[in-house]
Amino acid sequence: MDEPRSEIDWRSVQTMQLVMSGFLVFLMVVIWAASGFGYFWPIWVWFGLMIPVAVQYAIRRSLKGPRQWRGLSVHAALSCVAGAILTFIWAVTGFGFWLFWPLFGLAAALVLNGLMTAWWRALHPARERELTERVDELTRTRRGAVEVQAAELRRIERDLHDGAQARLVALSMQLGRAEERLEHDPEAAELVRKARSEASAAIGELRDLARGIAPPVLADRGLAAAVDALGKRSALPVTLDARLSRRLSPVVESAAYFVVAESLTNAAKYGRGAPARVTLMVETGRLIVEIDDDGPGGANPKGSGLTGLRNRVEALDGILVVRSSVGEGTTVHAELPCE
Amino acid sequence: MRVVIAEDQALLREGIVALLRENGIDVVAQAEDAAGLLRILAGHKPDLAIVDVRLPPTFTDEGVRAALEARAKYPGLGVLILSQYVEPVYTAELLDSGEGGIGYLLKERVGDVKAFIAAVENVARGGTALDREVVSELVRRRDADSGDGALAALTPREREVLGLMAEGKTNTAIARSLVVTPGAVEKHISNIFSKLDLPATDEDHRRVLAVLAFLRAG
Repeated sequence: MDEPRSEIDWRSVQTMQLVMSGFLVFLMVVIWAASGFGYFWPIWVWFGLMIPVAVQYAIRRSLKGPRQWRGLSVHAALSCVAGAILTFIWAVTGFGFWLFWPLFGLAAALVLNGLMTAWWRALHPARERELTERVDELTRTRRGAVEVQAAELRRIERDLHDGAQARLVALSMQLGRAEERLEHDPEAAELVRKARSEASAAIGELRDLARGIAPPVLADRGLAAAVDALGKRSALPVTLDARLSRRLSPVVESAAYFVVAESLTNAAKYGRGAPARVTLMVETGRLIVEIDDDGPGGANPKGSGLTGLRNRVEALDGILVVRSSVGEGTTVHAELPCE
Repeated sequence: MRVVIAEDQALLREGIVALLRENGIDVVAQAEDAAGLLRILAGHKPDLAIVDVRLPPTFTDEGVRAALEARAKYPGLGVLILSQYVEPVYTAELLDSGEGGIGYLLKERVGDVKAFIAAVENVARGGTALDREVVSELVRRRDADSGDGALAALTPREREVLGLMAEGKTNTAIARSLVVTPGAVEKHISNIFSKLDLPATDEDHRRVLAVLAFLRAG
């Protein structure tokens, strides 16, 4: 059970619920036994406890089906649960005839819903299929576009490094050598020195540009190392909990990197030095990135920085959630599909 | 002084070689990639290797990896890394990699010939020559966390002096950049030595130790 889990883990919630229910059932039986075995009333407590478990199970089960029949399957599942509840009451209260009517009503409503869904589907089959196909296509092409863009940016970065930057470095070096030989002519030496400092400034600007595309340590060492470097560079004390066993695709890595970078920048700007925690983990095909700080909270989720991040994450079919109540710190939570 | 160089961009490599030779530094061999660097190190046993971070075939951090391997194999070898970027992760790895001088300079610093030659000589002698951007990055980090033990005892001015020492500057150069007298710098430095509780060995060695204590903390 050491597997990292996201915040809401339904399986463990359910296990906890079952354990607590079991305990209550046991307690009731003990009370019943202690009070001299009369009418077996604990059965009603059991009944009450079973209902939420059954409803939850039915809904989760029915949501697993194909999307277009989801509404109908939820309806069917809840009808089954309601029918079972009524049947139970019917069995415990002495088998009257009344059960027929509610069961009949439930069945009729279900059949009606089924017919209407089928009818709707029969009327709009083309549109439905068209939309599904369109969504699939858009998802595919958007992913492709994002990947092409990322590859293109990396190529530009590589070209800057090997081309313009290298030439400017060589230029700056030649100027330096020229300057050395102009010691007898201070005015000319000064001109050359100025030229060299211009070249240095240009190199600096290119460097900032390239770093904005993708920091080299991200490409070299991967997300965990790059985020670790970010944390060390931050003005805040940052603890990192990275549970990544493999490299992810470059687009996912760089989106996650910029989520952390922007969040830590915000935390440093508003957090007054309060510590921050960064969590990175992969769970069921999703990369989970969470940045949590103890700052004053109250961040504006519609701010331009956060909106930019959200666009970036959503372009990869991910989600980004910001929780920031005043006085409770800020949590930025992002999930990115990463096969 | 015997120097080897590993740099894949011919223009830059040849320029640096010419520049070093003009200043009386003997470049005994050149390499274009990490494997080549390790080969010439084995053959020539130089005092110093000048290494580009990005080398073929993957153009990521082969240079740093090769430098770390070389330092493990040849204790006392000075390594001067040239990079387009300041990357504290790599500096930290190099500083932790054992004995011998360490330098990490942005590539454009080769344009300032005097400072570059001074850095080369400093690293070959076992000192440090870190780019001022690397140092300012580290200083910012030191200032961020307060619980730094011995370093926390330093005054801001002493930290500044220590940062300049990490760049490989001489006392005179430090005095010039802080606009104080060399005597004042010497006083700061002796305060730093006593606050960091460094043994009274020779001045050069203490300097290196003080800088390492500063860089490795945190």
